[in-house]
Amino acid sequence: MSYLDLTLADLHQALVAKKVTPLQLADEALKRAKDNKENAFERFMESETFAIASALKEPEVNNPFWGIPFVIKDNFSTKGIETTGSSNILNGYVPSFDATVVAKLLAAHAVPIAKSTLDELAMGGSGTTGHKGPTFNPFDPKHERMIGGSSCGSAVSVSANIVPFALGSDTGDSVRKPASFSGLVGFKPTWGRISRYGLFPFAPSLDHVGYFTRSVEDAAIALAIIAGPDIEDATSSHKPVEDYTRLLKKDIKGLKIAVISEVIDSIHNKIVIAAFDQTLAALKKQGAIVSYVSLDKQMLGTIFPTYLTLCCAESTSNNANLDGIKFGPRYEGKTYQEVMQKARTAGFSELIKRRFVIGSFALMRENQDVLFLRAQKNRRKIVDAVNAVLKDHDVIYLPAAPGIAPKFSESGDRLSDTYLIADNHLVLGNFAGLPSITIPIGFEDKMPFGSNVMGRAFEEALVLQVAEKIENATGYRNLSVKAVNL
Amino acid sequence: MKEINKNVLKDASSRLLFDMTEDQYDVLEKEFAILIKQMDLIGQIQGVDDFEPMTFPFDVTTDLLRDDIPSEPLQREVALQNAKDIVDGQIKLPKVVG
Amino acid sequence: MNFEAVIGLEIHVEMKTKSKMFSRAPVTFGALPNTSVLPLDMAFPGTMPVVNKQAVINAIRVCNALHMEIDREIWFDRKNYFYSDLPKGFQITQAKRPIGSNGWLDIEVDGVTKHVDIERLHMEEDTCMQHHLFDSTLLDYNRAGIPLIEIVTRPTIRSGAEAMKYVERIRSIVIFADVSDGKMEEGSLRCDVNISLRPYGVTKLGTKCEIKNLNSIAAIEKAIEFEIKRQTQLLLSGQPVEQETRRYEEVKKETVLMRKKTDDVDYKYFVEPNLVPIKLSEKFIHDAITSCPELADSKKARYIQDYGLSDYDASIILLDKEVAAYFDCCVKLSPLSKLLTNWITVDIAGYLNKTGKTIKEFSVAPEHLATLVAMIDKGQISNKQARQIFEAMIEQHGEPRALADKLGMMQISDESVILGYIKEALDANPQSIEDYKAGKDRAVGFLVGQIMKKTGGKINPGLTSKLLLEELKKR
Repeated sequence: MSYLDLTLADLHQALVAKKVTPLQLADEALKRAKDNKENAFERFMESETFAIASALKEPEVNNPFWGIPFVIKDNFSTKGIETTGSSNILNGYVPSFDATVVAKLLAAHAVPIAKSTLDELAMGGSGTTGHKGPTFNPFDPKHERMIGGSSCGSAVSVSANIVPFALGSDTGDSVRKPASFSGLVGFKPTWGRISRYGLFPFAPSLDHVGYFTRSVEDAAIALAIIAGPDIEDATSSHKPVEDYTRLLKKDIKGLKIAVISEVIDSIHNKIVIAAFDQTLAALKKQGAIVSYVSLDKQMLGTIFPTYLTLCCAESTSNNANLDGIKFGPRYEGKTYQEVMQKARTAGFSELIKRRFVIGSFALMRENQDVLFLRAQKNRRKIVDAVNAVLKDHDVIYLPAAPGIAPKFSESGDRLSDTYLIADNHLVLGNFAGLPSITIPIGFEDKMPFGSNVMGRAFEEALVLQVAEKIENATGYRNLSVKAVNL
Repeated sequence: MKEINKNVLKDASSRLLFDMTEDQYDVLEKEFAILIKQMDLIGQIQGVDDFEPMTFPFDVTTDLLRDDIPSEPLQREVALQNAKDIVDGQIKLPKVVG
Repeated sequence: MNFEAVIGLEIHVEMKTKSKMFSRAPVTFGALPNTSVLPLDMAFPGTMPVVNKQAVINAIRVCNALHMEIDREIWFDRKNYFYSDLPKGFQITQAKRPIGSNGWLDIEVDGVTKHVDIERLHMEEDTCMQHHLFDSTLLDYNRAGIPLIEIVTRPTIRSGAEAMKYVERIRSIVIFADVSDGKMEEGSLRCDVNISLRPYGVTKLGTKCEIKNLNSIAAIEKAIEFEIKRQTQLLLSGQPVEQETRRYEEVKKETVLMRKKTDDVDYKYFVEPNLVPIKLSEKFIHDAITSCPELADSKKARYIQDYGLSDYDASIILLDKEVAAYFDCCVKLSPLSKLLTNWITVDIAGYLNKTGKTIKEFSVAPEHLATLVAMIDKGQISNKQARQIFEAMIEQHGEPRALADKLGMMQISDESVILGYIKEALDANPQSIEDYKAGKDRAVGFLVGQIMKKTGGKINPGLTSKLLLEELKKR
């Protein structure tokens, strides 16, 4: 068993005990990354990796990220290293600065080894729309099933035992859904808890920095390193950064857990429900009080169009800077409009263009009232309803998805008429900016699936505490492809 | 609300400075039909228009403002390193009229 | 048929803060292209705006000077459009909630007070500079992101003269408040005019035209005059005025069609999601206002009331903020405000005009000018001598007393000293005493002349005459 298969916390112990060096880890991680067949990487960082890892000699006992190899989703700016957002319009773009969260990890002497694939410009949930083609799920060697998205490559890198930690971003569920499909811990804290400076924006009012680990403890450790206010991000929170491990191991007697009936009712997969119920039983055994609460079904049915309208509108504006003039492939034309038009026509995929047209349409003067603004009003209505539940309960707990990772053949990139409440409830965590974590709870056909805990704003420690109790109950700590002998 | 037809969609995409294929406009038209139907569901919800539009996940304000202290600017070569057509330290475009 | 001109003005003021509106890059003028740029200014992906405190303070100061209601929360919106000088593909501005609203200014035009209604004042950011060559355009991002204040009047202005006076007042306010250089020729103050005509008595507005490219205050008046003529001619001949954007041509003093205005551009405004609204405390607003440097209006009132200046003289001094500052220094050091005013508005102004220098480059410090006028007032030197010393101060940078000494010109004004010379002269010229008693007034002049010769011209002639007459009467 390689040290690289350990959790971050355990690997830290090994590094401190000098059982392994950062360079050895980095070499092994890069090798595994290059051997990986899931199409998870945009580029390997080789020379930078070597330079950083070989300079780390004396382990820092109190620094959990010292020498730890990690992967960065390719929508985080990395200084001197090409960052494309998995879109052709940014081919060749080399940022002159690091995203704040990357800078923090580098300052903590973590060792970056690669940039991972994503759905183009983070605008997708299938992991298939990046310019390198689909990313596969390492739990399915036949490559019939997706790993989800948009943080597909980062999910692969952790579940396929390449690194114990990978950065992702979550706008509608882009860390927490792929985590469910790949047996990982996928965590998104409160909006503003982690700086977004340097993260390519998809929809700023919904965007969160998130990450993948193989244990809840790792997630709690990581948050303290990368959370905090940032003078470059005016939406970052100035609330003090806590010790997010402080509630782990403490009991949850009297903790009030809310399960939303309408979401449960919309899930028909008996295996998922059974596994979920088992975790509920385990939580109850530990003293938690579980209640089934009802949210208006009609309202839940509007989550997806509300989300789509808002994120497409913000996104179309955010990506108006992509024109081939300051960066990205440059085209010639007789006018500046032609220059921009050629770049944008060639550089964006068809799906992205369709999303931009939807977003632009929703913002048009004649349409704003009934599309964009109404979606914003509905957001408030939904958020009020969610916060009302969290007034009387400490967390909302649900299966993360209606089933295991879908097959590529079962889904496409077109808007579908079939609407599943269970497919969309994770967006509630983005609408309301609440801390939300996915943890693995079971398997079907050798494919993992998870559940999700969401809490009140800035109560990350509590959310992590509940998640760990579930992890203890299932025993699925450090789940990975290797752990299930694939 | 503006009526949705292919011409409207073509106009919208041309204003966004990109082209799509005819097939893609067909796909888009169908997607719009679905989206509008779903947005209508929102419109049917009692009292939704009584709510104030919400931009941020929570109603947060700040009193923090940035002190007016300038930072070291980028070296020009760095600022322009990703641009392809440079003349006299500036990015060159076809002549802009109007 | 007589037509009433209905005019609204949009003024953009570039703020001279040290850093930009949303980025930390230095605000520079005339720097080498693209040397004052940070990633946000070139819209690199993932960059985010952070609001400049001084820009907000400046906006509050101007709002206050314009008697505006100040919003206690600052919200920003995105104005979305594509243009070569707009790196992000949108401008961050304040569309729905401008920081200032419902203000006014009273201006004096030909002795009549005109009340100008000001609709809004908001903050936004400037665009790139474009250098147009023969067959290409070059982009310089130094200017991208510089803070701007936009001030929009209601269409209550009725003539070119009113428009000019209004813009002069705005200019004065932003210059004295230390917000901007206010130089139209350099683009730090830009003015667009919206003008339409309607028959007197009619309330419905006519079709309006927008006039751009006004590079001086004088151009504003000329452009409006031309446009009124043009639109009048159209209307009188039964033709409609079309909605157009026109540019002012300096040489021909005419407005020329730039582009027809088709439908209003749809900017798809929405709240900027990367800027959480900023709450302004009462203390912050109060401090912003009280820390504002004194504006011209207030100085003018003070100059007239406290220093007895005429309206005209006060206005001359207040044409230039630095001259006013110089004057302020001088009057702190000396009560001789009338003399100081003359020297500043005539001699110093004349010198600066001739040499093209600014008062900041003027080498005579206020203390020295104050000393100089004190010497004149005490009669220690004549006006002619004062001018010589003045010139010497400019050339040699000396202190007036020392220079006077050097030039050998200290006028004797000590009465006892003068009496000494008088007695001497009388004793030496008994015939003159007789002549005076005999009614020959010439004798006085002769005696004064003797004394002047004796003292090398340094004696105060007026005082000498006076004392001499008194002495003569005694003898």
